[in-house]
Amino acid sequence: MSVQKTFQEINDRIKRGEAVVMTAEEVSAMGKTHSPAQVAEKVDVVTTATFGPMCSSGMFINTGHANPPIRMERATLNGVPVFTGIAAVDLYIGATETHPENPAYGGAHVIEELLAGKDVELEAFAKGTDCYPLKNIKTTINRNNINEMVMFNPRNAYQNYPVAVNLSNRIKYTYMGSLLPKLGNANYSTSGELSPLLNDPQMRTIGMGTRIFLGGTTGYISWYGTQFKSDAELNEFGVPVSNAATLAVIGDGFQMNPSFIKAAYYEKYGVSMFVGIGIPIPVLDEEMATRVMIRNEQITTRILDYGDPDHPELGRTNYKELMSGEIELNQKKIKTSSLSSLFKAREIAELLKEQIKKGAFLLTEPVEVFPKGKGLNSLEIRS
Amino acid sequence: MARTKRRMVLRFPAESVNEPITYTLIKEYDVLINILNADITHGREGNLLIEMVGDKGNVDNAVGYLESKQVEISPVVKTILFNESACIHCGACSSVCFPGALEMDPDSRKLQFLPEKCVACELCIKACPLQLFELNFGVN
Repeated sequence: MSVQKTFQEINDRIKRGEAVVMTAEEVSAMGKTHSPAQVAEKVDVVTTATFGPMCSSGMFINTGHANPPIRMERATLNGVPVFTGIAAVDLYIGATETHPENPAYGGAHVIEELLAGKDVELEAFAKGTDCYPLKNIKTTINRNNINEMVMFNPRNAYQNYPVAVNLSNRIKYTYMGSLLPKLGNANYSTSGELSPLLNDPQMRTIGMGTRIFLGGTTGYISWYGTQFKSDAELNEFGVPVSNAATLAVIGDGFQMNPSFIKAAYYEKYGVSMFVGIGIPIPVLDEEMATRVMIRNEQITTRILDYGDPDHPELGRTNYKELMSGEIELNQKKIKTSSLSSLFKAREIAELLKEQIKKGAFLLTEPVEVFPKGKGLNSLEIRS
Repeated sequence: MARTKRRMVLRFPAESVNEPITYTLIKEYDVLINILNADITHGREGNLLIEMVGDKGNVDNAVGYLESKQVEISPVVKTILFNESACIHCGACSSVCFPGALEMDPDSRKLQFLPEKCVACELCIKACPLQLFELNFGVN
């Protein structure tokens, strides 16, 4: 009879310290000599991880009220504008917001400094009301004198992403890094067979409420991410060949470790933020075993020309080729590099594995599964 | 005698482009020439980025010979400084590094910086999202 396990049974094994936990890379290697049935029999949990630049990220903070109080209508942190369009002293620091005079410094840097315990200069303005009479304030805040800092990232952990190249005659500075002219290099951004949503492409075990590793602490999947797409073209191994599903995640900034949240600046593009995410996947049955056994050579992605504003597809490749350091396109060998860090992703997958092994991290069954067959709209320019 | 190593950009006037200058340097002055970058068009001016290694006296004589041929010599004192301890090993710099001074280790997936291969082209400075590279104008 084939193996069937429930979340509850796996959690009981974790609590007893008996669960067999492996990283997604380890289980992919095991898959070369073991059948899905054998993997389902032997392995309980597979840890996945990613550490890449994720623009759609940010942090809510509540600064506490001054005396007299102010209803902040415009505010900056270290000179970087922050969103004030909510209650009086609730602010949202968008990771990509930039300092008006220093394009290489932005919200992600402010977040990193708050996590690290540094003082950050707050300046805010208001019209003044009967209940909030103060019209401006200039002070410093840090993690010890604010009420909350909650990281909430509307779109993280993209399930697959295209490779960027540049066929034009000029270097292109993009969110996919520096792209040298005439196919001078190729940049990709994923941890491949270690990446969370590539190990559970149908999102059977990853859904709303899933407990995850976020920025060095425990976080949660709060919703499907923005631009979530679950009707993407799949390859023969059942994984989407392009960017598809995404996650919205939430976690306590006070508990985070700045080594898993890093501010980034891409030349002539702007600020972004590296976010470290780890997701445990329970091996419930043979079908899940097959999913987590996926290998880099089985994950296809598209190669797009970022030298052309329409980003036409030039070909397809897989992550084994990309990670070899070189791909071939138009009879030319092209050097590849990654924007996400596989080294850091492995560190996260290992940390999560150790936490689960010692019973410090239990799995959660999704409170609700993500929508099926969801497509995307594009923005029509109406005159 | 002390060995010395100097990096320099040689700018050849049009009349010297067709002379076997590198051959003469090696054969007559006994210096080791490592060509790091070359941009020479016959009949026009050319640039050569070289590293010259040899006994100090030989290197000085070789430089004297170049000057006698109206070759303009600009010493390369630029080097790239890398704040390695803050690196997150994404690898974004490695594909723009044409001399291969920045390479990802295929097993550990850690970035390796090999300064001896660096020609200070500066592409990594813009490619690094954490801005960990900077140009050093100190004496080489």
